[in-house]
Amino acid sequence: MKIRWFIVLFPLVSVVVLSLAVMQHAAHAGPPQGVLATSAAKAANASAAASPAGSMAIPDTTLAINSDKPMSERVVHYEIDAHYDATTHVVDATEVLTYHNLTGQALDHFPFHLYQNAFQPNATWVREAKVAGNRDTGYDKWEAKEYGAEEIKSLEVVGQGNVTAQMHYIAPDDGNQDDKTVIDVPVPKPIAPGEYVQFKILFQTKFPETQARSGWKRDFVLGGQWFPKVGVWWHGAWNCHQYHAMSEFFADFGVYDVKLTVPQFEVVGASGVKVAEVSNSDKTKTVTYHGDDIHDFAWTASPRYKVKDDGVFNGQMGPVRMQILMQPAHWSQVERHEKILKESLEHFESWYGPYPYKTITLVDTEPGSAAEGMEYPTFITGGTTWWMPEGIHEPELVVEHEFGHQYWYGMVATNEFEDAWMDEGINSYTEVKVLDSILGKYTSIMNIAGATMGEREEQRLGYISAADLDPIAQKAYDYQSYGSYGGITYGKTASVLLTLEGIIGPDTMAKAMRVYFMRYRFTHPTKEDFLHTIEEVSGQNLRWYFDRAIYGSPVLDYKVLKIESYPANWYEQKKSSQKDDKNTIYHSVVYLQRKEDFVMPVEVEIKFDNGEKIREHWDGASRWTKFTYEKNAKVTSAEIDPDHTIQIDRNNFNNSYVVEANTKPTTKVTNYWVFVTQWLAQALAWWAV
Amino acid sequence: MAERQGLLTSGWARLGRNKRYLVWFYLLNLSLARFGAAAFNNQAHGILDHSLYSGRLVHGFDMAVFGEMLARPEFGPTAASSAASTGFAVLFFIATALFLPGVLQGYASTYRLPREDFFRACGRNLWRFIRLMIVAAIVFGIVAAALFGIQGALVKAAGESTNELLPFYVSLACLTVIFLAMSVLRIWFDLAEADVVLSDQRAVRRSIAKGFRHTWRSLGSLLSSYVLTTIVAAIILVAGIWVWMRLVPADGVYRAILISQLTLFLLLIPRFWQRGVAVTYYLQNMVEPIAVQTFAPVAVVAPVVTPADEPVVAPVNPGSPETQAS
Repeated sequence: MKIRWFIVLFPLVSVVVLSLAVMQHAAHAGPPQGVLATSAAKAANASAAASPAGSMAIPDTTLAINSDKPMSERVVHYEIDAHYDATTHVVDATEVLTYHNLTGQALDHFPFHLYQNAFQPNATWVREAKVAGNRDTGYDKWEAKEYGAEEIKSLEVVGQGNVTAQMHYIAPDDGNQDDKTVIDVPVPKPIAPGEYVQFKILFQTKFPETQARSGWKRDFVLGGQWFPKVGVWWHGAWNCHQYHAMSEFFADFGVYDVKLTVPQFEVVGASGVKVAEVSNSDKTKTVTYHGDDIHDFAWTASPRYKVKDDGVFNGQMGPVRMQILMQPAHWSQVERHEKILKESLEHFESWYGPYPYKTITLVDTEPGSAAEGMEYPTFITGGTTWWMPEGIHEPELVVEHEFGHQYWYGMVATNEFEDAWMDEGINSYTEVKVLDSILGKYTSIMNIAGATMGEREEQRLGYISAADLDPIAQKAYDYQSYGSYGGITYGKTASVLLTLEGIIGPDTMAKAMRVYFMRYRFTHPTKEDFLHTIEEVSGQNLRWYFDRAIYGSPVLDYKVLKIESYPANWYEQKKSSQKDDKNTIYHSVVYLQRKEDFVMPVEVEIKFDNGEKIREHWDGASRWTKFTYEKNAKVTSAEIDPDHTIQIDRNNFNNSYVVEANTKPTTKVTNYWVFVTQWLAQALAWWAV
Repeated sequence: MAERQGLLTSGWARLGRNKRYLVWFYLLNLSLARFGAAAFNNQAHGILDHSLYSGRLVHGFDMAVFGEMLARPEFGPTAASSAASTGFAVLFFIATALFLPGVLQGYASTYRLPREDFFRACGRNLWRFIRLMIVAAIVFGIVAAALFGIQGALVKAAGESTNELLPFYVSLACLTVIFLAMSVLRIWFDLAEADVVLSDQRAVRRSIAKGFRHTWRSLGSLLSSYVLTTIVAAIILVAGIWVWMRLVPADGVYRAILISQLTLFLLLIPRFWQRGVAVTYYLQNMVEPIAVQTFAPVAVVAPVVTPADEPVVAPVNPGSPETQAS
């Protein structure tokens, strides 16, 4: 055959072979057929059998924690028996919820979250996400497979009868009649203070293709926010918000006993500790998990996870088993994941307090799914790709961040609907601290081919992108946009706390954080609980700062406005044409300006050409100030905040001024720009003419 | 193989004899890129020159500082700087199209092409090249759209697979095929361009047809030559960036400029080498033979001898009035 025929046939054959290969692999993507025997009917039968439901009490088990007594005030006990159909992505389950009324008053109704109903076109979540933006979903091509649903088929209040007909959806936040993410359940006889009530619920959840870190992708599933979950009685009222595009969750502590029946080929991971696994005759298996002192339960299943579960961290309260579920193509990174998980545990235990749980499960979620980077009690998801270079610390960043949530969300269980900054923001602050320590202050995000970036700067960039839009202290779903929600709750909070560290000192801040964690773990603290703790530990009244940085939205921007140095006898010099010498006395003036509304005292360092440095203090009260000097030296530079403790200055470039221009930085970045331009021009000319 | 080696060797020799074109094109590109970067440069000067914070761009390269610079309102919209640079990149492409006929003429010459001949070739072929480029754009556009469309569909289908690496391998394979297909098209139109200039062909369609025939006829040797030169280009780019990253310290700004510009200069070589290959191929295989008129041999006739008794005529003076009158 002549070579030209080979050249022509090669691409054709390649395309055909690729097509066949792709189709074959796609065909293998689903689970084996014929092994899925679960059904609603079967689940219903199981529900009937599975629920003698225990007694009317919350167990005081400690199976899942390294403690011989409960660590939280346990309000709820969930017993769930769930059957997952991997073909339809539907869970049919029974739930027995025992609730201990510790509210101090009689309760005659109970609101429940039905989170998966958020993923419907007229739900509040979708309405908000469509306008304000969203991390994962583009609505131009929103397909039916991305719909989720969660339905209570039957609900019985034990001893009071079936109240299914009396349940009704409510929309406490926006009155959206089409939103079905909260359902209110009346109880015929009010539950007296101190009493228990038990609900028997038959429900069905249909997962969407992953939305907001929950759902399925190919043959993977992540079961998050998947069961009817009761609201929290908080500050004298039920706190049970609708599911919003810009918010997360809030729930009471308790005990979870969950049975998951899945196809036998699935590898399963979940919150808590695994207590049993039995094979069923219908090619399914039932895996049972138990969790103590947690406020949510998530699980995952995929036939392709590779598991590393031999890692043990010897924590302050006892051993912690680290279970890591990796994608096969990421297996070479398993040690990397385990290392950062272990280092995170070490830092958090050392700095903030003990990790009391016996397990931590890290899940490397399905590629392309919207399930990466999420926290659930004792269960987190990471985020990596098969090609991730060592110098890009994305996996470390995600794992550390999600692990940090075991403290700031998992144990210090703040209200994420109303105070999102108290979990995401405080967690972002500790993330900066921990990653600085592990990976370096300026290299914790990346350190590759000479390019570097630190986590504190990334947080600051997030903040300055939305600096003048929203205050920190407001409800999560009230932010102007998803960008503002992210920039303020994560970036601004981290930057504000790093700046606070500069005000009260790093040691005091570290102590305050530890006190806050130890005092409020296993509770639902408010923002004032946090702020008061810092004031108490530091012994300072910091209201001036909190009012501006936490409750307000003024922007901080200080600038070195002008530097002037001229000979004091300039007029005489001019007449005699005398030149400057080292005995010449100079009159120097340094002007500083506060460009925006955030008033904050600052330090400024002024350098002279004889090597002398002077530090000045400015309270920032006026719009501008000046410092004048008579010396036999000229001012060469001035720098506001020379110790770089202020992270919330919107413009770092104008914080300093050097009299003699240094063109090197510009020359360098321009060279990059010119190189790219020339290369593109040559590439265009190569192919187009 | 021998044919390919001949093409490469001869093409390289033509490149060597006409190094000045490389220098001109390099300088032209550099000048245009500098103009294009003027806005970026001025804005960067305004923000960076007097700030201590910008030191983090010199001692290493802090992406956060760079990102913050681009985000500053006084820097202006990054799109404005990009638009200027893109405009000047397009200008270089147009200039290449304008001056290429002169380069091809120079490559085909056995002597150093005088400047006026160079520009004459450029001017004479300007409109022909515009037509040629329009046709090329249509052909490239159709083929690229089809192939990239197929690639997109295949990668999307591969994305449904549980094998995470499959989309990558599919992409890689598709891009290889697309590269080969685009190279074939490039050869076709390179030969057409050579034919237009060197045959002084006004009918561009004939050169395109001729280029297609010859591309098809010698696809193996031509494609392998082009692929090899492209591999050389890739090696130059990777090696240049490697040297830049590894051997030039972060604050060695002027050394970085030197290395980056040397890399860009060397990157021009493979394409001009390909031009040399196309011209060589044209001269070896595409030149129309010159029609030679043959004449039938004339029989030599013996001189007629005038009999001796005939009167002797006086010799004719060609300039005499009698002769002219006749």
